[in-house]
Amino acid sequence: MTRCAVLSWLATFALAALVAPPPARGDEGKDVNAANERAMKAAAAAVAPMVVKIETAGGLEVVGGGKKAGPAGPPTPGVARGTGPTTGLVVDADGFVITSSFNFANKPTDIFVTVPGRPTRLVAKVVATDQTRMLTLLKIDAHGLPVPIAYPKATVQVGQWALALGRTLDPNTDHPASISAGIISATNRLWGKGLQTDAKVSPANYGGPLVALDGRVFGVLVPAAPRAEGEAAGFEWYDSGIGFAIPLEDVFAKLPQLKTGANLRRGLLGITPQSPDVYTAQPVIGAIQPDSAAERAGVKVGDTILVIDGKQVPNFSAVQHILGPKYEGDVVKLKVRRGEKEIEFSSISLLGTSTTFVNAFLGLLPLRDDPTPGVQIRFVYPKSPAEAAGLKEGDRITQIGRADTKILVPVRNRQELSTALAQLSPGTEIRIEVKRKEGGKVETVTAKLTTIPDTIPEKLPLPSSAGKAMESPPKGKGPVIPAPAPAPKKDGLPKEKSSITTTEHVLFQDDPFAPKKDDKKEKVETGFLTRSDDVVGREYWVYVPDNYDANVSHGMIVWFHAAGQGGKDGEKMARTFRAFCEDYHFILMGPKAQNAQGWVPSETEVVMQDVKRVLGQYTVDRTRVVAHGMGNGGQMAFYVGFNVRDVFRGVATVGSVLGTAPKENVANQPLGFFIAVGDKDPLLKDVQASKAALDERRFPVVYRELKEFGKEYLDEKTFAELLNWFDSLDRI
Amino acid sequence: MRTRVVIPNLVLIALVHAPGRGAAADPFVEVCETVNAKTVKIFGAGGFSRLNNFGTGILVSPDGHILTIASQMLDTSDLVVHLYDGRRMRAEVVVVEPELDAALIRIKVEGKKPDEPTGLELPFFDFAEAARRPHATPGDWILGFSNQFEIALRDEPVSAQRGVIAAYTKLSGRQGVFDFPYTGDVYVVDAITNNPGAGGGPLTDRKGGLLGLIGREIRNTQTDTWLNYAIPVGAKVTVTIRVKEKNKEEEKTLNLNLPDFVSQAIQGKYRAYNRVKPPPGEGGWTGIVFVPNILARTPAYVEDVIPASPAAKAGLKPDDLISFVDGEPVVSIASFQEYLRSRTRAGTMIRLEVRRGEALQTIEMTLGVPPVRPIPVAPPVKKP
Repeated sequence: MTRCAVLSWLATFALAALVAPPPARGDEGKDVNAANERAMKAAAAAVAPMVVKIETAGGLEVVGGGKKAGPAGPPTPGVARGTGPTTGLVVDADGFVITSSFNFANKPTDIFVTVPGRPTRLVAKVVATDQTRMLTLLKIDAHGLPVPIAYPKATVQVGQWALALGRTLDPNTDHPASISAGIISATNRLWGKGLQTDAKVSPANYGGPLVALDGRVFGVLVPAAPRAEGEAAGFEWYDSGIGFAIPLEDVFAKLPQLKTGANLRRGLLGITPQSPDVYTAQPVIGAIQPDSAAERAGVKVGDTILVIDGKQVPNFSAVQHILGPKYEGDVVKLKVRRGEKEIEFSSISLLGTSTTFVNAFLGLLPLRDDPTPGVQIRFVYPKSPAEAAGLKEGDRITQIGRADTKILVPVRNRQELSTALAQLSPGTEIRIEVKRKEGGKVETVTAKLTTIPDTIPEKLPLPSSAGKAMESPPKGKGPVIPAPAPAPKKDGLPKEKSSITTTEHVLFQDDPFAPKKDDKKEKVETGFLTRSDDVVGREYWVYVPDNYDANVSHGMIVWFHAAGQGGKDGEKMARTFRAFCEDYHFILMGPKAQNAQGWVPSETEVVMQDVKRVLGQYTVDRTRVVAHGMGNGGQMAFYVGFNVRDVFRGVATVGSVLGTAPKENVANQPLGFFIAVGDKDPLLKDVQASKAALDERRFPVVYRELKEFGKEYLDEKTFAELLNWFDSLDRI
Repeated sequence: MRTRVVIPNLVLIALVHAPGRGAAADPFVEVCETVNAKTVKIFGAGGFSRLNNFGTGILVSPDGHILTIASQMLDTSDLVVHLYDGRRMRAEVVVVEPELDAALIRIKVEGKKPDEPTGLELPFFDFAEAARRPHATPGDWILGFSNQFEIALRDEPVSAQRGVIAAYTKLSGRQGVFDFPYTGDVYVVDAITNNPGAGGGPLTDRKGGLLGLIGREIRNTQTDTWLNYAIPVGAKVTVTIRVKEKNKEEEKTLNLNLPDFVSQAIQGKYRAYNRVKPPPGEGGWTGIVFVPNILARTPAYVEDVIPASPAAKAGLKPDDLISFVDGEPVVSIASFQEYLRSRTRAGTMIRLEVRRGEALQTIEMTLGVPPVRPIPVAPPVKKP
């Protein structure tokens, strides 16, 4: 009996040795979380004295979007700014504080800073803003402040604990800073500018530090999004587990410059890719902004970028990753392939702003879906260069070239003509070979390109299409308009502004606008159709005119309904546009906002899935895809227009405010605007400001103010203008 | 001999298999188990519009007393709770204290009178003991438990979440466009705890010690973002309320706290006042004339000071910017006036921090009574 018991005792002992924890040392041995918790609190406490509270007075209620349209009006995709204090981080013992520009996006009139352990508030001044990282440097009259230690950027690893500290929640700066705990989710985010964390980042800690467990600081918390710009971009991800921080090491590196009061801008090379696919296509340059860093250095359209700063770049995304974090004045090394040669540019100094690209205008509408080589003229704009040159309806343009070279190259279709002109700036003289409708005589005329006017033709002739979209347009290697021989210049030096442009213009490589070819003769759905996707719970409607013909390329209007109108206004819109859609070959579709409050920018991706589905099903002319909306819907139209540049060629809005700063105008992705607003609309001033912002970027804008209109849709006259504007988007 | 050997044997097994092993493997496992046993799902009125008919509560006595938030959901005679083990019981409201946003309900057992013990012997939180511990501080690890989104089925444990205390601070939130009534301290947490049906769930430390009661879905007025907070076990508020007793209205200043509420309510002794909504006050008078208030947030710049007014006596000058009142930021003229209207009356002393040039000056003033305004002479009405 005894022996048995002893054995069992031994067995238990062995079992105990197997499963028992290592010898307990206080709390820690029993609970693996105790040490972590203690380390977190210690790290936060070490940095808290450097985390200051920022308070502001005055300023706007809503930032990053439009204002509320009156107390009863729908809110806009903007961000309502809370009234609480925000957070900053000391970066210099002599009173310099860095913080998120979000905290001042409402343009406050006065800023006050409270430093932990110091009883009084101090008046703060804005010293400078880093516009690439959305950080603002403040100066307060204080000395001997503690300064955090930066965690070396190169050694940050995904998975490390990360604490987000803030001063918003507890107004008392002698209390601990507020804490959210998470890990580093990714490094090198936002095109190499930021770290990502799953700690909760929100207005409660924007401007505060992201702290490592050893008390060093990873970075400064900011709202950010990889595909948007502006102070409030990325706000919609607050508390989602997706947060960003700008490495403190980078902040320290730029501090001397910021202290001088210099605002830091992004360094631009001034190139756009030829292919919208930035991930797999080779990085071939599709367009170069005039007078940009790239042009000054002698980089040319058609060059394939091989290496930047010693790193191979297989695609345009890789180019963006290297150029993304660069500032104005930074120098890059570039190696490109041009034809059979490899050319190296050893030091290209990036510019802060590229000279804005301005679309050139000849003044005609081409006949669509025409497989005959050349471009038949459907309409000549009154008082345009085309009219001055004596071009007439029905004439066929066959060749084109710069007037100063005497060389003409053939243009086979309207896409080639438009691509050719997209590379030239207003003021350029061109020669056009034309086959006359009357008599069939071939003549060469000269025209001087202008800018796109803000007038719309009163009546456009029909037909607009030759009805042969399914016949393959002639293809081949694109023609090149030869430029004059370059003036001799020294190697490696940026070209003088006065020297003659030497860019060779590859007119046409592959036809991105060509209607999708579909040999299958299947019956397509027409009429007013409602579609839904049960998986993602989305629905949209589409109106396809009953006279739809796959041989006629159709324009497409994507209607963004006003807040709260989701789906309800579809049939009404279809009725309103029916005659137009039938006569001028347009498809109308209406995606639906997910909440009654209206559209939010984050819906862009799902909306685009709907749009692309319709684009794939019908013959759609990619030069006439328009985002159209009213009120909050118009704001969404602006947003998608700017953010899905490869799809939209026009944005038409009624009573809508531009939510974010407009992006650059790009040569091969033209974007036109039609902006209407009632003169009784409370947002009138803001809409006017939006128009001014677009003018500044030299976008073609048509602006109409409706007399005695508040928040209604368009009057008859303006509606007729809008329809003609839709139909004339493929103007050349 | 046998006994001597067997006893250490049992002790060892206890050491190895009981809390020790589970805790070392993952300490949260056992905590979640224990806390869940003291947490209940509550079902009541609602289910339409945005009002949920489900919520969460914690057991605070073995007899079936449940603490939850003062939700509209309790406004029914058909209250049901689901215990951890799936038992479905009827319940009734004992007492509600809106100022603490707390309510005590009690499980009804068939055949027992309301004042009789239920004989249930349920696991429960010792509320008084929890309230005696010092409050948690930022960085402390927390767990939240709730019937959020009604995910848990009848006999399933509620959803557990992990996070840290972000702050222990005063609540400044709003529900819709209204300021939230509870004005005491709260725990703000970095987990997304405050979801539909989560209100009333326990917030605990990492060892399962009760810290507070998960609150409602409200927006933080400071950041205009959703707020995740819990009302702490030691919640205290001082409120002035108007009560109606024996047809007489009078004003009362009350010091309320959650531990007293719970212990008195369990004993059936908590007294709820019959409240009357206070008439809108006029607030104290400063004598400051502000610049024209034209913007959404016109900064509170002083344009002029009425002679002999409290502002004049305190030394305010034209062009001063009122930046803080009693330590709270003044973002606009409207927010300053709202502060005066809602928080002060004639005779109240306020402390202003005023920006004059590049420095802040502290100015104290005792508010006065607004001068009687002359009645505007009505223009003669034209008759058609």
